Amino acid sequence: MEWMITANEPGKTYLMQGNEAISRGALEAGIRFAAAYPGSPSSEILTMLGHVADEMEIYAEWSTNETCALEACLGASFAGIRSLCVMKQNGLLVVGDALHSASLSGVKGGLVLVVADDPSAHSSTNEFDSRHQSRSAAVPMLEPANMQEAKEMVRWGFELSEQLQQLVMVRTVTRINHGRSSVTLGEIPQHKQVPAVIGEWDRLVAINWFKDAQIAKIEQARTIFEESPFNWYNGPGNPDMMIITCGTGWLYGVEAVKALGVKDSVGILKIGTTWPLPEEFIVKHLVRTKKVLVVEEVDPFLEQNIANIIAYHPELNIELTGRHGQKIIPRNGELNPDMVRNALANMTGTTFQGPEVASIPFEEAVPLPPRELTFCAGCPHRASFFLLKQSLRIHEGRGVVMGDIGCYTMGGQRAGHFLFNFLSCMGAGISAAEGLGQLTRFGFDQPVVALAGDSTFFHTCLPALVNAKYHDSNMLFVILDNSATAMTGFQPHPGIGLTAMGKTAEPISIQKVVEAIGCPVTVADPFDIAGTTEIVYILLKQPGLKVLILKQECATLAVRKRKKAKVWVEQDLCRGDECGCGRFCSRVWGCPGNIWDYEAGKAKIDEVVCVGCGVCVSLCPAGAIKIEGGEAYE
Amino acid sequence: MSGGMELKNEVLASSTCALCGACLDWCPYIANIEDHLVLRFDCNIQNGRCYSVCPRTFTDWEAISEKYLSAIPRDLAIGPYLKAYKVKAAKGINGQQDGGTVSYLVKTILEDKLAETVLLTGADDYITPQPFLSSEVDDIQKTAGSRFLASPGMRKIIEAQSNNVQKLAIVGRPCQIQALRKLDYNRPPQKPEMEVLSIGLFCMWSLGWAFRDYIQKEFPGEEILRLAIPRHGFEVTTDKGVHELPIDTVKKFSKAGCNYCLDMTSELADISVGAFEPQEGWNTVIIRTLKGQQLFHQAVARGYLVSEKYPEDELNRLKSASLGKKTRNLNHIQTAFDKGVKPFIDLNSAYYVQLKELAEGMVK
Repeated sequence: MEWMITANEPGKTYLMQGNEAISRGALEAGIRFAAAYPGSPSSEILTMLGHVADEMEIYAEWSTNETCALEACLGASFAGIRSLCVMKQNGLLVVGDALHSASLSGVKGGLVLVVADDPSAHSSTNEFDSRHQSRSAAVPMLEPANMQEAKEMVRWGFELSEQLQQLVMVRTVTRINHGRSSVTLGEIPQHKQVPAVIGEWDRLVAINWFKDAQIAKIEQARTIFEESPFNWYNGPGNPDMMIITCGTGWLYGVEAVKALGVKDSVGILKIGTTWPLPEEFIVKHLVRTKKVLVVEEVDPFLEQNIANIIAYHPELNIELTGRHGQKIIPRNGELNPDMVRNALANMTGTTFQGPEVASIPFEEAVPLPPRELTFCAGCPHRASFFLLKQSLRIHEGRGVVMGDIGCYTMGGQRAGHFLFNFLSCMGAGISAAEGLGQLTRFGFDQPVVALAGDSTFFHTCLPALVNAKYHDSNMLFVILDNSATAMTGFQPHPGIGLTAMGKTAEPISIQKVVEAIGCPVTVADPFDIAGTTEIVYILLKQPGLKVLILKQECATLAVRKRKKAKVWVEQDLCRGDECGCGRFCSRVWGCPGNIWDYEAGKAKIDEVVCVGCGVCVSLCPAGAIKIEGGEAYE
Repeated sequence: MSGGMELKNEVLASSTCALCGACLDWCPYIANIEDHLVLRFDCNIQNGRCYSVCPRTFTDWEAISEKYLSAIPRDLAIGPYLKAYKVKAAKGINGQQDGGTVSYLVKTILEDKLAETVLLTGADDYITPQPFLSSEVDDIQKTAGSRFLASPGMRKIIEAQSNNVQKLAIVGRPCQIQALRKLDYNRPPQKPEMEVLSIGLFCMWSLGWAFRDYIQKEFPGEEILRLAIPRHGFEVTTDKGVHELPIDTVKKFSKAGCNYCLDMTSELADISVGAFEPQEGWNTVIIRTLKGQQLFHQAVARGYLVSEKYPEDELNRLKSASLGKKTRNLNHIQTAFDKGVKPFIDLNSAYYVQLKELAEGMVK
């Protein structure tokens, strides 16, 4: 059933996505402030809050990076305003300093930080576990096991935050954020918070004087968690073994117990308050069993903290197992029902008769042709990577390319002719290039190229660009400006001219920013493959820091704005498999719009997929690809 | 047969490429900027045109010579030829180097319709070569003088073919004339024949384009007007005057691929033209084929060229200069083959054995 995220219908139950439940939980907590940086699987949350911001009288922003987001929330909290901060696991690492400092200063208005982990890195470059930071920063962390809990934990998180005067983290995983289940609504408060006056002697400072207070807060949280309804035990009084689990691990555990029919001998201890652990509550249950299997996503965080508890309690005699040391569940990658059931079967000496489902490779389970990750039809990144690859080959193939994070990360694969030599976190490309570019003095003479998208430019490249400029590193910084944060779903960034709340803003010109730093900057069109290749060639020959902005709008946006040109192949002219082509358009250029006509043995355009950018027209060696009509690309 | 990947691995990777340009413009895989010529993406063609036209892939030059210059008397030093002349233009052309002979041969070709189109090399500036096709006599003015920087002019063959040119004339370096012959020799039977009249230039080496950067740095603030190699050295004319560079300094910029060339006088051309060393303002012309002879006579008949008997001692000097290049580069080639560069000539064939003997004799 359709429902409105703003509907004030307490008690009604709707099917909703985890990210909807989180947004709803924040609205039920009466937040007035929300800030985030987009990143899968968390991006929908702020998008939704942005859409309803006016109606709900809240402020929502897509911040320039995660640190800006968290500290903006901290600012609002200082005036007593409840604020929600959202990011993905990599973002939490970006805010490490801000997080640890905020924990030291504490908060005034409730501040909940939702961090979405991505086990198996489905939409990420890696699968870091956020929970370590909650322990390190002494910040209480809740971990929902389903969508209802996601909503409740976010809502209650604000109360806890204000009770402790400490920020509270809620850790989700992809299956919570993007999964759907029934959620019963609560009430949206009618009262709107107003900012408190910050008095002359009010303070929010992160200095070590407050370390004792910080420790007291986390111990107070532990006491509160001892009684938390998010933690419960279900199973026999004295089970042969116990599954201890948090987050979505709980669902796998329940399913495994049911599938193996071992509910009379296996109990499940479900923990929702992952940090600090309710030690007494856990010990109370551990004394009743001898064997424990810990089921959790990403790192053996819960497992090792339980090992700590066991170490402090000599009365316990527990055989503890889980992901640590890859004992029974693989150390790496997302859990699945087969994995957890097999682990439980192993430990209980039972066997499962039914079919394995989740472990079957996707391509065997689903009758779909395998597809590689690639750029969309008409994507300017395809042209950028194509021309950068050939420019570097023209430089005798000796260039070193430092990649970065965005859609263009796919350029490190076949879609971008395996261009990258280096890939790390956001903003690392230009920073590492700066270092390489300094080695000229020791005889390093390879051209160094760093890439970054426009959103990444604002996110983390600015300090690195200042660094590279000030120290005059020998490098070319290429900004792939597609005027979008495309990878995560077109959230606006400071170069776009829109806000999360749909308001216009004055866009910040990347070119002007770069010029103001004092860098020579060239703006070129990646769709002009030949012309821009020459520009890159010339820039690579010049010493010092050069900046090139390759500007062409994301095809997915561009196609919505322009009348599409008709592109077709004159098959009589097409050389096909012959010398002088070798399926150049479909095999090398590789745009999904350029396909192979197996019957004719010639190239063909997939008219449904083609967006009419016309780049392949300029690349066809036989002039066989024709274009007509449509609005020109600038 | 082989394709682009072999061209990359055998020729481009070993820097034997002479930048003739014959592989360009047909192929979407081969890219060129300035004097860089690379395989920009991996090619999947087994039998490639690029490999078959390249003067640095294996070639039986004897067989090609036999086909195109069959009844012409052989000369080990300067190739098959009928006659040599000392020649100059009756009337000078602005910017000419030496005698202006090539310009008037081209003028004759167009006026007497010996070819409908000529492949020429002009320049954007004093140095940057710009190959183009022309049927206009007025364009000849743009091409006067030497270019020095290696120019991949043979790429224009593709344009001529797509324009359906039936009779083409070419002015080119020895490697380019070689590529031209190879192109026809390995022509697939279904591909129509194109009649070509070739004017080959004498060439010791072509310069890599780094020379342009060098010379601009060497004379800062001066507008460079003209480069020339008169008898004494390398001459740079700027708006501030005439400078001289030691020839050895210039030579350092010669293309690595030129070290693999055994042809100084364009031995496979219809007619070859170079400097006449003893006397400024004159050219050496070597008539090699009947077509070349006809062109030469028509240019003389039109009163464009004046010719004199070629001095015997100068002919010997020319031959020993050519043999000098052959000897030097034969050594270079032998060393490269020993180091694993894929052989592009059979050094054990009768011709090269004979050449080595002659060269050794000269050294003694």
